[in-house]
Amino acid sequence: MSPLRRSWIVLLLLALSGAPPATAQTQSSGSWRDVVRLLREAHIVPRAGPARLLETDLAEREPDNEPATANLAALGVRATGVIAEHGDVDTWALDLTAGTFLSVDVDAASIGSDLDPVIGLIAPNGTTTLAFNDDFDGADSRISFRIRESGRYYVAIRGFGDSGNPSFNYAIHFGTVVCLGAGTEREPNGAAGTASVLGDDGSGTGELCALDDDPAGDVDLWAFTGFAGTTVELDVNAGSIFGDPFLALFASDGTTRLAFNEDADGSDPRLQFTIGTTGTYFAAVSSRTHPGGNAFPYTLRLRTVAAGPGDPITVRAEGLSTPFGLAVGGTGDLFVGELAGNRVVRVSATGAVTTFVAGILAPLGLAFDGFDRLLVVSQDGAVYRVTPQGVASRFITDAGFPFWIAVAPDGRIWLTDVSDRSLRRYSRTGQFEARFDGIGIGGSGPGPLAIGPAGEPFVSNGAEIWKLTDGRFERVLGGAPLIRAFAFDVAGNIYGPAPAAGRVLLFDPAGRVLADPFAIGPDAPVTLAFGRDATGATVKRLFGVDPNTGRVFEMNPAGLTHRGLPAGDTLPIPVDVAAAALLGAGGLGAEDVLLLDAQGNHNGRYDIGDLQAYLRSHP
Amino acid sequence: MKRRILSFAMVAALSLGAACYDSTGNGYGGGPGTLVLRLTTPHPDDGAVLFEVTGPPVESVAAANGSLRVFTRHEGVRVVGAVVGDLANGAVVTLQVPDRAAAAGYSARVLEVSDRQSVLRASLAGYALRVAP
Repeated sequence: MSPLRRSWIVLLLLALSGAPPATAQTQSSGSWRDVVRLLREAHIVPRAGPARLLETDLAEREPDNEPATANLAALGVRATGVIAEHGDVDTWALDLTAGTFLSVDVDAASIGSDLDPVIGLIAPNGTTTLAFNDDFDGADSRISFRIRESGRYYVAIRGFGDSGNPSFNYAIHFGTVVCLGAGTEREPNGAAGTASVLGDDGSGTGELCALDDDPAGDVDLWAFTGFAGTTVELDVNAGSIFGDPFLALFASDGTTRLAFNEDADGSDPRLQFTIGTTGTYFAAVSSRTHPGGNAFPYTLRLRTVAAGPGDPITVRAEGLSTPFGLAVGGTGDLFVGELAGNRVVRVSATGAVTTFVAGILAPLGLAFDGFDRLLVVSQDGAVYRVTPQGVASRFITDAGFPFWIAVAPDGRIWLTDVSDRSLRRYSRTGQFEARFDGIGIGGSGPGPLAIGPAGEPFVSNGAEIWKLTDGRFERVLGGAPLIRAFAFDVAGNIYGPAPAAGRVLLFDPAGRVLADPFAIGPDAPVTLAFGRDATGATVKRLFGVDPNTGRVFEMNPAGLTHRGLPAGDTLPIPVDVAAAALLGAGGLGAEDVLLLDAQGNHNGRYDIGDLQAYLRSHP
Repeated sequence: MKRRILSFAMVAALSLGAACYDSTGNGYGGGPGTLVLRLTTPHPDDGAVLFEVTGPPVESVAAANGSLRVFTRHEGVRVVGAVVGDLANGAVVTLQVPDRAAAAGYSARVLEVSDRQSVLRASLAGYALRVAP
């Protein structure tokens, strides 16, 4: 697989976290906006009847199939025409000056015509297509385009698939686009000082202008008062198939970004954030893409939501360059892969960030083996093994595109392979042992990977988690938001980060929701891992990483009911101790009993089946 | 008389031979030796058994074969143990005892059984343990 393809896949996978539409764009007189308003207020001709022509400023004259025979129009003109036969093209000419933000809007279906129009903007050379649009307003078309050089431009309109019929009439409106704001927003509102204000009901409506000279496009800032201790949810609804709006939350200074989301509900964004200090905050709505330069209306809603037991979160490190993978070392330090930094950093208990190993291209999954060596999956297709001193060597190189990695209690290494959507098992020395086809689990699986209480691998396919038992995948939970790199506690409960939803969920071992949200403090959490103490034992501390904000965070430990399931091939309880306890000698704590039961038959007590399972996973 | 002496010698020899016979060669009677704990099970897929043995002293316990693992704990006259592996009808554990002649004094019973998927048996009906030479 080429590096380019790998990059694409990584970006695709990373894209599972984020934002929808709207720039405040209004057009000048005679523009699309005015026409839409007029048409909405006017009588609409039923589609079943014959379409009627509107009164126009200008009617087409045939032949006008080419720029050389185009009908000359002008800004502010509303014209009409008919795509009368198969292959018919109506061409309109416009003399435009540099800097004009041209708007061309076609109405056909909206006036009762059967025409499904497509339009293109052609450069003064008569051949170069500068912009194209098929369906903007239903089946009707629209283009917004910034004119760079003065000259005569052409607009060609035809039927979709070159269809034509004498009944295929249309109206076309030539105007300019100005960004004046729409709904309750007031442009300009791209800075804290000019931000629009959300209404008393916590909502606001606006429109995102087309992307223009400003690379950031139109940004609408909305001000609201956040109260300390409350968690707010900001929800954008645009419902447009165009554009890709996103949503960000800024602190009172208007520049410090606190949270970000892009695609929580389809292409619409939503985020939650726990307010730390009472004050003014700013919700920013903008759009990532704008086909045809068209604008999109949206609604922004603010509401207060109940926090989860894992809230509030605490930031343990920040400023990281797209942190992604997370593993906890034998002395309790956190190891975080910087996807964009091509290194793995160590985060100490005090939050100090130091480079552990550099030069590993785009670190993906991380896991420790039983010898305190960090296994790092790289986007270059290899798994590196890194000594405690930070010396890396290529370790596994025969997987197509390894992504996630985990080490089982028996020391075996499990990998997900994106290239053929499989789960692969290796010996503790890195020898390939088996491959399990994961295509059948559907979704984007096999994705994020973790080892369950009984030593079997669990994988996410997006909205579901499956486990591999006796070589077959079984679904454990489904119907959840997108779940990324999840973590188990000793009771077998699953903590699932849902980056697109901006929260962490908690499921019991059977996949039932125990807490949703478990925490809404994280912005877009992708990877979770339980902490360990200085002896390597897992503790009741749960950490996560958020690539959007570059942060490592910790859930509120008071919200955790159990310590983490030991990771890797460490032996959490000596076999003799586990056996003696079953025989009546005691010696186990409540958490140990939970762990053993979770690894076994999970019937709520420690019994002979649990010991048997423990021996099987710790031969 | 000579015939009587011969007959006595033959009886004595036979008696001595019988008394000394032991399939394991560990001797019997008033001496130390090994007893076998035999399992009777209604299932073909047992994975582990928790058991107890009571009676005369037991010096040590061992798995009946190398594929099984056994753990025990002594509580006075009671030995509680767990044997794990692919179990079937027959010998599962051997007991080293100081007096094999006291075999009849031992009693054993099954406390818990799990199948090979670690699922606990809901019923112990049909299970039995017997201590035998």
